[in-house]
Amino acid sequence: MKKLKPINQKAVELAGTTSQQQVNDVVAMQSVVGCASTTDPGWEVDMFGGTAGLCQPMEADLYGCSDPCWWPAQVPDMMNTYPDWSADAPSAAKNWRNLDGVYPGKE
Amino acid sequence: MQSLKQRCSTLAAAALGVALTGSLVGCGSSVPEATNKDYMVAVSRPNHLNVIDAETLEPVNRCDLPAHPAPGTIVMSPDSQIAYTLIGSFGEIYGIDIESCEVVFSANQSQGNERVRSMGAIAISPDGSEIYTHQNPTVMMSDHYQVQDTRVAVFNTADGLDAKAVRTFPAPRQVTIIKTGDDGTLYLGGPDVYAMDVNSGEYTTSIVSRNLDDPQYSPRDVLTVWPIGDTSNEFIRMFSVVKFNGESGDMDNASFHWGYERIDLTTGEPTDTIFGPLEVVLFSGQTRPNHPDQMWAVLSHLKQFDVPSQTEVRSITLDHTYYCINFSTDGDTIYLSGALDDIVAYDANTLEKLGNITLGGDMSMATPRVINRSVITSKL
Repeated sequence: MKKLKPINQKAVELAGTTSQQQVNDVVAMQSVVGCASTTDPGWEVDMFGGTAGLCQPMEADLYGCSDPCWWPAQVPDMMNTYPDWSADAPSAAKNWRNLDGVYPGKE
Repeated sequence: MQSLKQRCSTLAAAALGVALTGSLVGCGSSVPEATNKDYMVAVSRPNHLNVIDAETLEPVNRCDLPAHPAPGTIVMSPDSQIAYTLIGSFGEIYGIDIESCEVVFSANQSQGNERVRSMGAIAISPDGSEIYTHQNPTVMMSDHYQVQDTRVAVFNTADGLDAKAVRTFPAPRQVTIIKTGDDGTLYLGGPDVYAMDVNSGEYTTSIVSRNLDDPQYSPRDVLTVWPIGDTSNEFIRMFSVVKFNGESGDMDNASFHWGYERIDLTTGEPTDTIFGPLEVVLFSGQTRPNHPDQMWAVLSHLKQFDVPSQTEVRSITLDHTYYCINFSTDGDTIYLSGALDDIVAYDANTLEKLGNITLGGDMSMATPRVINRSVITSKL
């Protein structure tokens, strides 16, 4: 973690959860919050630092990430918190205009 | 899309240089109509279970599912009549008759204040009497969560609606795909690949993966939520790995590779091997039926690898990303699905695009199945 600086509340919590005594805090994030605790960079760069390995178009990867909450900060967690986020957009590529932001406490 | 018979006719027409009027002319009109054929069964948004003629890519039925479609992992009853779907935000199982759309089985894995999620981990016993899931349970208290031990749960399919688990066994964490062997052994893909006796709950490690300690290689990176490989009767998942060709950890003299971890579900024989160079990201792959030396994998490309020589044989760039690969039962047609809302078919011999079908809603991380069964009269 020497080169990574947490910039949101969840990342701060993760950065502080480094002892084995707190391991269940991380486990809970896998099974309850549903969100991955990985720091994958997202849709910007692939594993080689380029873009050729990314899903094409990005909408192809949208629900594959929100259904299991793969990307913690970039799409809503549909597994537990916002299951109806895509209710008006069965096709991400065709209905993306119907996808709105989500706001904690507004559900 | 051309059916297999039409492709045969086309080839015959080209060879004979004549116009054909009957679909079977040139292929031998004495060939009897098939009593069984391939179908695909796939979950898509908003809540549909699609039954598709795999030869024509025409829909023959569409059932409404009673819950949120994710993850959309399907296992089929041995007679290919009931689709057991893991849906309901990774927590519920529904058995759907693919002809009548009747819900004949249901189980909500969450009970009381214990929330249960299964990351695509559903399997069925060879005789169809039991459903297995890998469960991630958490007790939801008013002010905190209590993480429970992960487990395998067993459901009797004969229990019908609102079924409850009849047995549970402790199981490793981080399990995503599970499949049953012909002898009933349950294979679980987690940090390693495990083989569980579903009666005693005892399990052993079949393939060491994360716990490998070989200085010539990096730790393996595995990603899968697609329990595919039915038509090759295999449990299979891919891994990426770095091979250190110099000193251990020397990235200046390293090479990147794809490999697979595979259980032959007929014999129970485990295999893990590198099958090709890692040049692009791939999500799912399986060996071609009747061609075990051919490994095929997909994401934004469809690639064929030769396993013995560990080389890439063919590659095409796809119209868009597909997560999931399936083969027809004869191994001659490749079906790509998942991610967006269409399934595309390719000829495995020529890589000719045979056609596609649009479902109207995204499949996301669903695992469609190819089945071979008696003919279904279209309900649409």
